[in-house]
Amino acid sequence: MDATILFLAQLIVSSVIALAIATLYSLVLPGIERKIQARIQQRVGPPILMPGFWSVIKFMYKARTEPIAQMPRFYKFLIGFGVGVVSLLFLFNTPYWWFMLGWGSILGIAGMLKLEEVIYVFMGSQSQSIMSTSMPVPDTVRGSKWPNIRREFNEQHSAERSLKMMLIGSLPLYLALLVPFIVAQSVNIGSVVVTQNPAYSPFNSWLSFSLPTSPILFTVPGFIAAIVYFLGFVVMLNEKPFTILKAKIDMIEGGVLEYAANLRAGYYLMRNLLMFALSSIFVTLFLGIPFDPFMPAMFLMNMVLSLMLPIALSVLVAFSPIFTFRQIYPTAIGLSALGVLAMILALSI
Amino acid sequence: MTEANNEKMIEKELSFGPVHPALIEPYRIRLFVNDEIVEDCEININMAYRGMEKLFDGLPVEKALLIAERVCGICSHVHAWNAVRVIECGLGIEVPPRADYIRVLVQEFQRITSHLIFFGHAFEVVGHETLAMRALLLREQFMDLMQYVGGNRVMPSVPIIGGIRPRADLTDSLKKTILERCDAFEAKYAQYVQRILDDPLVISRVNGIGLLTKEDAIKYHATGPTGRASGWRYDLRTEMKEYKPFDFNVIVLDGCDTKDRVVDRALEVLESLKIIHQVVKNLPDGPVVNRNWVAKEMPFTTAYLETYRGEVMHTYGLDHQGLVRNYQIRTPTITNLAAMEHACVGDHVTEAILTIASCDPCLTCCTRTEVVDSGKRRTMTDYEIVRKYGWRK
Amino acid sequence: MTLKSTSRKKAIHVMLCYTGGCNGCDIEVVNALLSPRYDLEQYGVMLTWNPREADVLIVSGVVSWQMLEPLKKIYSLIPEPKAVVAVGACACNGNVYKNLVGDIKVNEDVYAPVESVIPVDVKVPGCAPRPEEIIQGAVKGLPKLMGAP
Repeated sequence: MDATILFLAQLIVSSVIALAIATLYSLVLPGIERKIQARIQQRVGPPILMPGFWSVIKFMYKARTEPIAQMPRFYKFLIGFGVGVVSLLFLFNTPYWWFMLGWGSILGIAGMLKLEEVIYVFMGSQSQSIMSTSMPVPDTVRGSKWPNIRREFNEQHSAERSLKMMLIGSLPLYLALLVPFIVAQSVNIGSVVVTQNPAYSPFNSWLSFSLPTSPILFTVPGFIAAIVYFLGFVVMLNEKPFTILKAKIDMIEGGVLEYAANLRAGYYLMRNLLMFALSSIFVTLFLGIPFDPFMPAMFLMNMVLSLMLPIALSVLVAFSPIFTFRQIYPTAIGLSALGVLAMILALSI
Repeated sequence: MTEANNEKMIEKELSFGPVHPALIEPYRIRLFVNDEIVEDCEININMAYRGMEKLFDGLPVEKALLIAERVCGICSHVHAWNAVRVIECGLGIEVPPRADYIRVLVQEFQRITSHLIFFGHAFEVVGHETLAMRALLLREQFMDLMQYVGGNRVMPSVPIIGGIRPRADLTDSLKKTILERCDAFEAKYAQYVQRILDDPLVISRVNGIGLLTKEDAIKYHATGPTGRASGWRYDLRTEMKEYKPFDFNVIVLDGCDTKDRVVDRALEVLESLKIIHQVVKNLPDGPVVNRNWVAKEMPFTTAYLETYRGEVMHTYGLDHQGLVRNYQIRTPTITNLAAMEHACVGDHVTEAILTIASCDPCLTCCTRTEVVDSGKRRTMTDYEIVRKYGWRK
Repeated sequence: MTLKSTSRKKAIHVMLCYTGGCNGCDIEVVNALLSPRYDLEQYGVMLTWNPREADVLIVSGVVSWQMLEPLKKIYSLIPEPKAVVAVGACACNGNVYKNLVGDIKVNEDVYAPVESVIPVDVKVPGCAPRPEEIIQGAVKGLPKLMGAP
């Protein structure tokens, strides 16, 4: 009985610490991303804290406004839901959750990621921004070749696109996620970490530090899977080149258009935390260094290594255009094939 | 055609603008789409209507020319120059050759800045921010040169009736600066264009979309680089007397797609640089302005000029007091619009917007009074009314 | 300096609403915001196209009658506190389009200055203003943003 209570206390404390560190750290990431892009574009670029940290605080202090949506309360609830989903996604990755009801496994991570994707569909179908159809402009007065056609909001079109992206775009990420679990021949994150880093246990002393002996990243299937994971990461964050569902040039921002003030701050938190969570999961699964809130050396190592993906992302973003579905379908199919190849190769290890 | 149209099923309509990142200028695109494929397109352009033509009416001609420059902020020199050419043709005013050379120089400066802002905009629409920023960075060099020559980055106000403003005369040090800047620019610009053509991701976005065949281009009168990229050899510069002394090529490509519309403009910039070199090297001596003219009654006169987007027409007459009457402007975008609407059919939504951007619309220029000609009924232009009934009815 | 005013100083989102001038100011604003030479982002100013995200609304050009309602609507959707910067002579007083110096009466096709449509906090005159002046104007809107409750 005492052991259970102690474990629960550890779980709660570790979650709170992990979330606090992760949230603060994730607010720096967009600044780093933006700065690298700016340097590639031969300009000074914004201060590092500005796009993340200061923006979020500023939006918190803005006057609360009601979004224009079909169901405003549901639309507002989606942000809270999203932050919760992404927080859980991140927490499943921390050691004490590995022992909770099997949530610290591929199932927990894949499930939460899927939920996160679904949120965009809901947001898109709810939001009714002024920026598209409802702009008060006399555009139908002169008549049209096609009268009485259903006029759709941009965000609704964005919701359709996000359905397509759910269907095919995010497949590579899940295939790549499976590879470390196949190598470890288990569905638990704990086993994946122990396979690569045998000296590590969540119950080690808080100063202990163990380097992985055989990281999956440095095997052939692991490397292929890491590349696929990275591109899947880009798809999941809707960044260029896979930003079709909130492409600035036609959808402006997609479903999140109507979030203002504190809701927008919530959206920024959600997006940044998702970026950090996915990078942190990458380091945990492919390098065997978990984000253990009670071991400073381990989580610092995890945080530093998880900069890899955002930095690679910012370089990719600076050098790529937006893909349309003409390019996304072949890319996603090719990446899925690579993912399957990595899985087959992983079986032989 | 109508029957085929009626059979076509349209699922929904998407509308963009007038305040939108892909448009910037106020106009509205209505796309009729099935899933992602654009079946038809309508562009509503009246959002920037300011009643310009009425402003000219009854102004002394020098004042009117200042307003003419404000028709558009990208092609300000074109409108100023062409407005001046109208009265020069109509009243037979001699223009000193040195003035003509400097007008051509500013025209080519602004052609380069206009094409570079096109790259900035087109690559913003493609989604490639880095290339867009490089284009804006390259453009700054020519904005500086415009400021040195004309005194203002956007509205250089170089031409006046009978020549150019004396302050815009080229000094020897300015000539040297221009040549140095152009050489530095040319090297960087060649790299930039090579970089675009070598980028497989960008080329895969622009290649093979937005088809506008030569027949369609001629049918809709898609002037300027838009038409020339469809294989239609039409450039007024080859016929203008101002451009006679210069040696340059007319870039004609026959790819008919968005890629060629971009490449056509990219190559035109190099031709402009050639002209600038020739202007600075062969600049004749002499006065820059001929002030021996009097504004007197002038019948309607029309002048055409090859701008950065195509062919522009200005026409007006002067009444017995020398005041401007019935100013009319037809800008290239008004004919290109039909070509755009036609070209973007059959592509994805994102690509349709790129196609529209690749035709380089300049909506503030083109929002003018319109003539409705539906075959059965035709509204008369002011021009025709005045021709028929005289100044006062 | 409280956290509130610091955050408002450090992160400014600017929205551009171009209501029908001649394009010149518009391109100069984009130049100031995007081009690497001026690069407003280094001062913590970001360009956005969403009124819900914006703090500062930059209006350039006279307001044509078709753009009147969209401009009012966009202004009303920006959450408080907000500031409006009128860029260019057209937005400040109507310039040639208002026909202030013309022989016939003033042009009634356009609404100018922008002040007659929505409250304006900062005016940046010039035809067209230089990017440096636009940067200065965008920064001049700061005290209003920072001092707001």
